[in-house]
Amino acid sequence: MRPSAVHRAIRLGSALALVAALLVPASALPARAANPLVLRIGTLQSPDSINPWNASLVVEYEIFQLNYDLLVGFGDDLQPIPGFAESWTQSSDGLTWTFKIRTGMKWSDGQPATSEDARWTIAYAIDAKKAGTTLGLGYIQDYFADAGIDSVAAPDPQTLTIHTTYATQRVLSMDAPILPKHVWEKQAAASVGDFTNPAPIVGSGPYQAVEWKTGQYIRFARNPNYWGNHGAADEVDIRFFPDAQDTMVQAFKRGELDYIRNPSAQQFDQLKALPGVTAVEAPATGFTELGFNTYAKDIPGGGASTKALRDPAFRDALGYAIDKQALLDKVYHGKGTVGTTLVPPYYVQYHVEPANPRTFDINLAKQKLDQAGYPLNGNGQRLDKQGKPLNLRLYFPNDDPSYATDAQFIADWFTPLGIKIKSQGLDTGALTDIQTAPEYDPKAKANYDLYIWGWVGDNNDPNTLLKIFLTSSIASAGTDSLYSNAQYDSLFKQQNEAPTADARKAPIAEMQQLIYDQAPYHILANDSELHVWHTDKFANWQQMPAGTGTPFFVMGALNYTLLTDATAVPSPTPAGSATPAASANTGPAATPAAATPAPSPAPADSSGGAALLLGAVLLVAIIIVGLVAWRMAASRRRKDQDEE
Amino acid sequence: MGGRYLARKMLQAIITIAFIVLLNFLLFRLMPGSPDRVLARNLPLDVRQVLLERWGLDRPVFPDQFVAYVGATLQGDLGDSFKFQGVSVVDVLAGRIWPTLLLFGLGEVLAIIIGLGLGAYSGWKRGGPVDYVGNGISLILYSMPYFVIGMILLMVLSGGLGWFPTSGMLEMGATYSSFVDQLLDFLAHLALPLTTVAIGLIGQYSILMRASIIETLGEDYVTTARAKGLTEGYILRRHALPNAMLPAVTLVAINLGYVIAGAITVELVFGWPGLGTLTVEALNSRDYPVLQGVFLLLSISVVLANFAADLLYGFLDPRVRS
Repeated sequence: MRPSAVHRAIRLGSALALVAALLVPASALPARAANPLVLRIGTLQSPDSINPWNASLVVEYEIFQLNYDLLVGFGDDLQPIPGFAESWTQSSDGLTWTFKIRTGMKWSDGQPATSEDARWTIAYAIDAKKAGTTLGLGYIQDYFADAGIDSVAAPDPQTLTIHTTYATQRVLSMDAPILPKHVWEKQAAASVGDFTNPAPIVGSGPYQAVEWKTGQYIRFARNPNYWGNHGAADEVDIRFFPDAQDTMVQAFKRGELDYIRNPSAQQFDQLKALPGVTAVEAPATGFTELGFNTYAKDIPGGGASTKALRDPAFRDALGYAIDKQALLDKVYHGKGTVGTTLVPPYYVQYHVEPANPRTFDINLAKQKLDQAGYPLNGNGQRLDKQGKPLNLRLYFPNDDPSYATDAQFIADWFTPLGIKIKSQGLDTGALTDIQTAPEYDPKAKANYDLYIWGWVGDNNDPNTLLKIFLTSSIASAGTDSLYSNAQYDSLFKQQNEAPTADARKAPIAEMQQLIYDQAPYHILANDSELHVWHTDKFANWQQMPAGTGTPFFVMGALNYTLLTDATAVPSPTPAGSATPAASANTGPAATPAAATPAPSPAPADSSGGAALLLGAVLLVAIIIVGLVAWRMAASRRRKDQDEE
Repeated sequence: MGGRYLARKMLQAIITIAFIVLLNFLLFRLMPGSPDRVLARNLPLDVRQVLLERWGLDRPVFPDQFVAYVGATLQGDLGDSFKFQGVSVVDVLAGRIWPTLLLFGLGEVLAIIIGLGLGAYSGWKRGGPVDYVGNGISLILYSMPYFVIGMILLMVLSGGLGWFPTSGMLEMGATYSSFVDQLLDFLAHLALPLTTVAIGLIGQYSILMRASIIETLGEDYVTTARAKGLTEGYILRRHALPNAMLPAVTLVAINLGYVIAGAITVELVFGWPGLGTLTVEALNSRDYPVLQGVFLLLSISVVLANFAADLLYGFLDPRVRS
């Protein structure tokens, strides 16, 4: 009997599989303490880069905040605490700041860390800004640039002076890293975004990244040279679960993870009931809104379907037909808060409630529409001022099912008003394209009416959210409602250049009320951060802000340094200098983790091209085997038929 | 083998590849949403302009971008990833191709052995207990999407009973005393995704094999064999099985082309760092170079394999050449 093609395929398949199994790239690791205490964190985000200049995702901020010190850190009530600088003073005219850098501080590679490193980092960002060069994605650079710094100097290794163009306290809340000059000075500003900043990273923060596997995890080893308190964790691992929320929760339940950020609302309630688990719901920087196309000009062949959307009275009336409490309960399972103004309650200092909150009252909404000049016709259709029935298109991103549910509710509430809603989910890319005005792209049509989407703000400053309604955002495609209001623009400038945080409060409050009244957005719900952690391994979990916030993914990395070992009864926390844990970076760890792959013949990391080629050849081989087998089988069948 | 045959096949392959390279360029640029706006929605305009310049997207799509793309591709340069700044596409792909090959290679092998075996036995003992139970289960499995199977396995065996790790390929940051330790850890992580892939395929294979065996057992030559007094086992092994295998082989061969489609869901559930998860990540951020790389790798592999199969087949079966 001829050996069948399948048998051959099977044999070959197993042989290939065996070969492949032997070639699995081994992960080699730096030497470390015998039984290291590892803090393992799970998050849904996966970083695109660990170069701090490229940071934009929350997890990317978390990574650089572990690696590097901020010039001035954040305490649990967001107050300034020592960071790279030990102490500081402000000159009497408020324009000059003098920072003292601690003596004997070292980078994780043992090089001295001095005021020159801080001077170099800040000057690098400021000079690039002046020259019109963007460092990486540009977010981090702007913390330095927006603080109004015009010059920086390092008169001696322990002294740093910063001069600002106007009196401001923003130099104390710059969420940007101080980098080691000896590592970064070779990088040209224009191309620094292309620098991968490979692990192991040299920094002065409490933990240093030693291994990053894209899409999988990043591992940090303790920085033995860290000047501050040493947390109980010898190692910090952050694992990424993009599009895999369920998997992350299962891993937490199984004890593979000690801490997770943002399970779903139902999962959160489930985990909360488990013993030895703390679950915290904290206010977040973001919100979900129902937005209007408020673009004030006509666009031939595009634009909103009715001019009514440009009318604040029309938008205001619709606000009475939205039951935000029902959305919060039914769509968001009670997590978060009912949305009101543009600055969410997360920003405790700046958030204000509207003076005249709208209630849910369909009849009132009808009245207001009548008064505003939008009558019903005989068929029960609401007409705009041009006499055209109001049939509005409502778009939402199709990447989150809660948007679709919101849209369903809103369409149901608007129906009794005589306004017909046609809702449709779109790819986020398609939605951004639709929401573009001709000022940004002459071909753009801004062809939409209503939409549901959300924004996420910055950790310490509401500016990113406030910028959405600037007139200039239309031309820069930074807005989705294409709103413009001169009074708002001048209030923004006023708060942005205010000397102190307190002085910003009044204009920011006015801006919130203005947007609430004008209603280019109806903010439906404020997001929440849902964080859950096990308490049996680590103790002394501090929250930021104290008592209401979350331990991690906040400003700075202070809370990592405060963790204690839950199993060690007396839990002495050795302060500062001489820690016995000769685990990490000084000796053997100085050899990079990823660059010395273990006994594998084809290390995928170091010789990407060869491994790829080999893999491709194998893929081709498998397909060839399949095709040949198929063809042979087919021809044999044909032959059999011929013989019959 | 005739030179003309070879030349014709080679020309076909070259034309196909040229078409793929063209399509590859167009396909992802036709998607709505430009990478600079998808990657960071609230970046200032000047920053986005810098990004577009760095990625070469500020120039006109045709001819500038197209010429640059074709030139680089011909030289084997797939460019740098947009998303993973400063990392070349080749390096990105290299890290991800092995896990996918392993998972689906082994999954296919497992499914072929178990699925075909189960199907053959069910068909042979038609109406028996194995047939009833096996066929029922196969139908259920066949109709279940990968991610449902995956989620069930994950919740029961990993989250619930805690027998297997939930995700990843190796334990994060583990140090291994020996290669065997590492292999065991790898196998523990592989177990659930592999089972998912295998289960998803077993139903399909076993149903087909069962039908095929039943059909074959009704053929005249089987009746003849029975009349000759051959034992049932002998008839199955020597007469029925080899013939019943043919449609199954076809199905297996076709399935090989669907590796990526299946990979996406299984890999997402188990956080398996393969081409499937990479494709989703790249798609979400409109990472054109990585998407082009994945697409090019897969499609050119299929074309080359087809070409090689044509040559091999022409060698094996002389009739084809004429």
